[in-house]
Amino acid sequence: MTLQNLLGVSLDAIAPDKALVAKLLAAAERNISDAQLDALSTENRFDAAYKAILQLATVALHANGYRTLTSRPGHHQTAIQTLPLTVGLPQAKVIVLDALRKQRNLSDYSGDLVPISAATECLLSAKDLLAHVRAWLKTHKPELT
Amino acid sequence: MLGLLLLRPEEALHGREIARRTGLPAGTVTRELTKLAEVGLLHRERRGNQQVYRANTRSPVFSELAGILRKTSGLADVLAQALAPVAPKLRAAFIFGSIAQGRESAGSDVDLILIGDLGFAQAVELLHAAQATLGREVNPKVFTASEFTSKVATGAFLRDVLAKPKIFLIGSDHDLAELAGRQP
Repeated sequence: MTLQNLLGVSLDAIAPDKALVAKLLAAAERNISDAQLDALSTENRFDAAYKAILQLATVALHANGYRTLTSRPGHHQTAIQTLPLTVGLPQAKVIVLDALRKQRNLSDYSGDLVPISAATECLLSAKDLLAHVRAWLKTHKPELT
Repeated sequence: MLGLLLLRPEEALHGREIARRTGLPAGTVTRELTKLAEVGLLHRERRGNQQVYRANTRSPVFSELAGILRKTSGLADVLAQALAPVAPKLRAAFIFGSIAQGRESAGSDVDLILIGDLGFAQAVELLHAAQATLGREVNPKVFTASEFTSKVATGAFLRDVLAKPKIFLIGSDHDLAELAGRQP
């Protein structure tokens, strides 16, 4: 799989925009800090961290000149599973991110409760991805930072 | 019985041991073992004064049959083996949801609850390979013992899980009742 051959299937080509990268990174940081608010339920802390992960995956695609086709089902899956291609994230980390995506589906659509372990991992993964995406941008796309 | 032998081809068992592990009457087990050995699915040998049986991995249908068992009745076995490295840290592990209730469809995921001192990422890592073996996604929910106890008391989700059928990988109904803070 390359990003190129997902064009029109699950991805759309766009022109990268420095301002949008900055906005998404700021939004992800805000969500990461909200995910640490003790007053929130485990479910909402999980949701905030998951949102940050999705925003960071969106930055990763955007910086490469792509966005997900949100009109197609599975755009969260696409954004997460393309992370090795967009920013060289190791597959082992993508496996965990993808499992978090499935947890989120279960809590959003089946009302499943979210264990503390999942919220903790979601926050850790979001922080890790933020650092990874920032470092990748600095090295590979300094013009966008 | 087939699951027991075909999914552990390295293990040779005698009839009484098989009867004990499967909970089947010894007479039935002996009869079936004889038939399965006759058609070449099992290999029979004499050990001391006992007949022991093990899977005949050279049978032309061995790999397909073992594959089917792994995906159906052997599902719990595959998952229990995947969790074996962390079993000492777990108080209980069980399948719940559609598969435990026997109303799964082709696309059903395996819903799993693990109770003990284990991280979510570690659980995902351990179970990842099993997904390919089973041809199903595995969704683990990992609770610490104290979190499980408090969430049974406060929420409908776990009470619903407790009331419905489960397939235990580690522990039993008794352990779960203890964790849930009720008398078994």
